[in-house]
Amino acid sequence: MKSWLASLFHVTIDFQESHMFFPTIVMWVLLFLLALIFIIYGRPYLCALRTGERTLSFSTSHIDKLRLIGTLVLTIAYFLSMDYVGDFFPNTGLGFLFMSIPFMFCLSLLYVHNLNRRKFLTLSLNALIAPGLAWYVLAKLFHITLP
Amino acid sequence: MDLLADLTPLFFTLVFVGVLIGILFGAIPGMTATMAVAVCLPLTYSLNLREGLALLLGLYVGGISGGLVPAILLNIPGTPSSITTTFDGYPMTVNGDGEKALKIGIISSLFGGLFSAAILFFFAPALADIAIKFSYVEKFLIIFLALTVIASLSSNVLVGIFSGVLGVWISLIGTYDVSVGGNGDTRLMFDFMVPYLEEGFSLLPVLIGLFGLATILQEAEKGVKDEPLCADVSLSNRAKFSMRDFKGQIINLFRSSSIGTFVGMLPGVGGSAASVLSYTQAKNFSKDPSKLGTGAPEGVIASEASNNGLTGGALIPLLSLGIPGDSTTAVLIGAFTLQGIQVGPLFIGENMETWHTMMVALVVANLVMFFVMFFAIKYIAKVITVPKYILYPIIVMMCVVGAYAINYGIMFDVWTLLLFGVFGYLSGKIGIEVAPLIIGFILGNSAEVYFVKSLESFGTLTIFFTKSPIAMFLWVLIAVSITYSIYTTVKSIRTKRANAGH
Repeated sequence: MKSWLASLFHVTIDFQESHMFFPTIVMWVLLFLLALIFIIYGRPYLCALRTGERTLSFSTSHIDKLRLIGTLVLTIAYFLSMDYVGDFFPNTGLGFLFMSIPFMFCLSLLYVHNLNRRKFLTLSLNALIAPGLAWYVLAKLFHITLP
Repeated sequence: MDLLADLTPLFFTLVFVGVLIGILFGAIPGMTATMAVAVCLPLTYSLNLREGLALLLGLYVGGISGGLVPAILLNIPGTPSSITTTFDGYPMTVNGDGEKALKIGIISSLFGGLFSAAILFFFAPALADIAIKFSYVEKFLIIFLALTVIASLSSNVLVGIFSGVLGVWISLIGTYDVSVGGNGDTRLMFDFMVPYLEEGFSLLPVLIGLFGLATILQEAEKGVKDEPLCADVSLSNRAKFSMRDFKGQIINLFRSSSIGTFVGMLPGVGGSAASVLSYTQAKNFSKDPSKLGTGAPEGVIASEASNNGLTGGALIPLLSLGIPGDSTTAVLIGAFTLQGIQVGPLFIGENMETWHTMMVALVVANLVMFFVMFFAIKYIAKVITVPKYILYPIIVMMCVVGAYAINYGIMFDVWTLLLFGVFGYLSGKIGIEVAPLIIGFILGNSAEVYFVKSLESFGTLTIFFTKSPIAMFLWVLIAVSITYSIYTTVKSIRTKRANAGH
C-alpha cells in the first residue's frame, strides 16, 4: 500500500526533455483556468448575447479611433525609420535624434485640441528641444547606446 | 565609515531630482509612480547602483505622494492609490479648505513613509535571515504562496490567477538556460523566432511597455483630453492649516500606516487596495462615520498615510525574498538586475553598505518630498495644467530610450516594448490584470528552476509537503489564502444573486 502511494508521487525527469517539463504543466494549468473562466463567466455572457441583452462591441463609440490608430501607426513608423536611419550613422544615436523630432511633432499635432498659433509654436519647439536635450544628455554625457 | 563616503552631494541631488520628477508624474493624472520609475530607468544606466537607487527611490516616494494634489484639487486621483483621497480631499477644497487638505495629506504621507521605512529597516533583515535557510523546495513554495496571495486579492480571483500563470508562461519563453542547470534547449516558440527570443523577453522593455506605452494608448483612445479645471488651482487661504488638525488622529495615523505597510508586503497588491482598506477602517473606527466623504480630514489622513506606508512595505519582500511587493518595486528589480545584483535572501547580508544607503535614500526621499510639497505646493499644483500633447510624446520617446539601451542597442527590445504596450492596452479591455501578470513574469523562471531541481534531486512530489516544518507552515499559509479567495468569491456571487433577485 505504502509503496503504491510512493510510486504514485514518484517523478522522473528526462534531462533531454527537461526544458518542456515545467512549461507543459503551466500550459495545462492555463487551459484548465481558461476552461473554468469560460464555464463561470463565458457561458452566461454568451447566453446574454443570444437573447440580445448584451452586444459584442466594446462600445466603440467612445473610442477616439483617429488618435488611437494614429498613435500606433506613428509609433511603428518611428521604430522602423529610427532603425533604418540609425544604420547610416552607427553608434552616434543620430537615428534616434533625427527621427524623434518629426515623430514628436506629428504625435503632438495628433493629440492637440483646438490648435492655434501659440499651441503650434509650443509643440514645435518641444519637438525640437526635447529630443535634442534627451540625445545630448543620454548619448553625449552618459554615453548610453541609442539607435 | 563607507556609508558616509556614499552620501555625496550627487547622492542628495539625485534623491531630490527623483522626488521632484516623481511628484510631477504623480500629480499628472494618468501617470503613475511605476511609470516614473520605468521611464527614468535609462538615466540610471550610467550611474552606479547606489546613485541609481537614490534616484529611483526618490521617484517612487515622489510618485506615490504626488497623486494627492489632483485628488484634492480636481477630484481626479493622480495615481490609483489616491482614489480615496478624493472622497474627503475634494469636498474640503469645495469648502475652501484646499490648502489645509493638501498640507494634512502631505504630513500624513510623510508619517506613513517614515513609519514604513522603520518597519522595513527592522523587518527585512529578520525575514532574510529566515529565508536564507530556504532550500529550493521552500523557495518554490514561497513563489507559489505569492501567486495565490495575488489571486486572492485580485478583483476577480480566477482572472487574477490566470493573469499570474500567463505571466509565468511568458517568462518561460526562451532557452532553458544551462547556467541554472537546464539543457539549453529553446521552448514555446517557432524556429523563426529563435534568433530574437533566444534569451526570452527582456524584463524592462516588457515593464516599460505595460506601464508606459499602454497608458499612452489608453489615453489616446480617450482622445487625450486635458482635464478641465473645475476648481480654482490658485489656493485660497481662507482656512489656515495648523498642527491642531491632527488632534485625535494619532491612532488613525498609526493604523493607516500599518495597513499600508502590511498591504505593501503582499505581492502584486498595489496602493489602491491599501488606501481603500485603510479608508474603510477609518470609517469603521470613526466617532462620526457619517462625516467621512463630506470633507473630513481623517479621511485624507487615512488614505495618504496608507499609500505612503506602501513604499517601505513593498520593499520588504523585494529585499528579503526577491519578490516584488507591487508593480513599482517590480521595475526596481529591473534596476538591480541591470547592475548585476540579484535581490533575495542574501542581498542584505552581502550588500550591507548598499542596504544602509538605500535606507538613507528612502528616509531622505520622504523628507525631501515633505519639504518640496509643503512649501512649493502652489507651484506643483500648476503642473496639472501642463498640456498632454506636450507630455505624452516625451513619454513615448523616453520609453524607446529605456527599451533600446537596456541591452546596449537591440532593436528587438523596442519591438517588445510595442508588443507589450499593445498587449497591456488590450488586456485592460478583456480584464487581464497587469500586476499579477508582471509578478508571474518576474518569478516564472525561478519557479521553474526551484520546482524542476527539487523534483530531480528528490524524485517525488511528496517532498514539497515533507521537506521541513517551514514547508508545512507555508502550505498552511497557501491553504489560508486559497480558502480566503474561495470564500470571497462565493460571497460576492451570493450578494450578486441576492441583488439580482430583488
